[in-house]
Amino acid sequence: MLKVSDLRVSYGPIEVIHGISLEVKEGECVALIGANGAGKSSTLKAICGLVPAKAGTISFEGQDITNQSGHAIVRAGITMCPEGRQVFPQMSTVQNLRMGAYARSDNEQASDLEDMMNMFPILRERAHQAAGTLSGGEQEMLAIARALMARPKLCIFDEPSLGLAPKIVAEVGATIERIKKMGKTILLVEQNSLMALRLADRAYLFEAGEIVLSGTGEELQSHPEVAKAYLGH
Amino acid sequence: MIEILQQIINGMAIGGVYVLIALGLTTVFGILGIAHFAHGSVSMFGGYLTFFLVVMWGLPLALAILIALVVGFLLGVLIELLAYRPVRNANHINAFIVALGLTMMVEGLNLEFFGHEQVVIPTDFSRVFNIGGVTIPELRLYVILAAALLIAAMTIFVEKTKTGQAIRAVAENRDAAILMGVNVNTIPLVVFSISTALGVCAGVMVGALFAIAPGIGEGLVVKGFAVLILGGLGSIPGAVVGGLVLGITEALAAGFISSAYKDVIAFVAMILVLLVRPQGLMGKA
Repeated sequence: MLKVSDLRVSYGPIEVIHGISLEVKEGECVALIGANGAGKSSTLKAICGLVPAKAGTISFEGQDITNQSGHAIVRAGITMCPEGRQVFPQMSTVQNLRMGAYARSDNEQASDLEDMMNMFPILRERAHQAAGTLSGGEQEMLAIARALMARPKLCIFDEPSLGLAPKIVAEVGATIERIKKMGKTILLVEQNSLMALRLADRAYLFEAGEIVLSGTGEELQSHPEVAKAYLGH
Repeated sequence: MIEILQQIINGMAIGGVYVLIALGLTTVFGILGIAHFAHGSVSMFGGYLTFFLVVMWGLPLALAILIALVVGFLLGVLIELLAYRPVRNANHINAFIVALGLTMMVEGLNLEFFGHEQVVIPTDFSRVFNIGGVTIPELRLYVILAAALLIAAMTIFVEKTKTGQAIRAVAENRDAAILMGVNVNTIPLVVFSISTALGVCAGVMVGALFAIAPGIGEGLVVKGFAVLILGGLGSIPGAVVGGLVLGITEALAAGFISSAYKDVIAFVAMILVLLVRPQGLMGKA
């Protein structure tokens, strides 16, 4: 479904992604793990058109989407739930959710909104509250629901558990599990490597802008280097 | 009491003009982070154009305003594409310099096209209403009503339409708006055309209520920014409240203290408000 080949990304003169290749197949949950600054988020930003790819190609459902503008990529069916939630702080919960469906032109948005409120009951309670006044965990649920409102074919989560209390982290994990069971294709970036590898069908390990290891979630969990450096045993 | 009411009504008319100017400035600032200094001169251009259509071409006022509005829309698009778009990703100081240069250009254009004479847009609204001792000239009443209508239309547009919500979203979080599928190249065009059209309306009101002359636009844009700061940067309700507060304060100062010092008193009042609420009346801290 998504195919990244020999992707290179630079910020000014500094190259941060040194020619990586990865693939996400339909219905899969793929995780990108690795330390802070290893290039996971830059890879996602290049896929979503937020930063330009210097070299390499990104294709989605057989179509080349390399360096297309961000709004065109959303319309192609890729939606990202960004790091740090990035809700619209002064807009209400409902207005945020409606923005999620901005690129859609069908008339089933009202029923999808209802579905999201059922899936995340806390959002119904906070429906008309400014999103900026929600707690971190509530904002994360809002950001996830907002991404789903786009009815994406590929749903990308960038560090969904970052900065959340342990109890909320578990809740986020369970939510992504549910989205996976809904049949959505997922690309997940997570510093919480254990959670990511448990959720993922397959995973790629990033180190200093390169992919150094890939395999199924279980394979990486039991790989001695991964276990030592990223899982803490 | 009647005297106070009278001054409040007077203040609402000029306050309405300030609100329209400030709405244009605040949406541009909120979306693009640009201090659009040329806004006052552009608005005067709209006033001049209306004057010439009415006086020289003999068009009815309503038609003249409509044409000025359409020209305002197009001018807004041109300003965005030709002046601000090229410096969008550059250092902020570049947009600042472009804004100053643009102000001089539009002022020069006004002088070249319309001359340096002071002009007043003629209207037939000469009746004066008297409600419980408060006198309301017909023209002022229409200005207040028209301003209220435009403010309501703008609020409904931003709160209830998809494009309006996209404008808010870009103002609040540009990257997240891109991730929702908002085309951030077209949003500035929409914002500039709406803001310029509102500015043109304000220019027509100034031309009918008072007069248009070289330099008036610059004074107006300074007032507009004062309203922005008073109400809270980037806030639409702030622009409405701030504009009315400034207009009414000026009218009360002129009526009860001294008309020569009305601007001084209004700005002192503004400073006092900012001492208590540095984020502005409706701004978020």
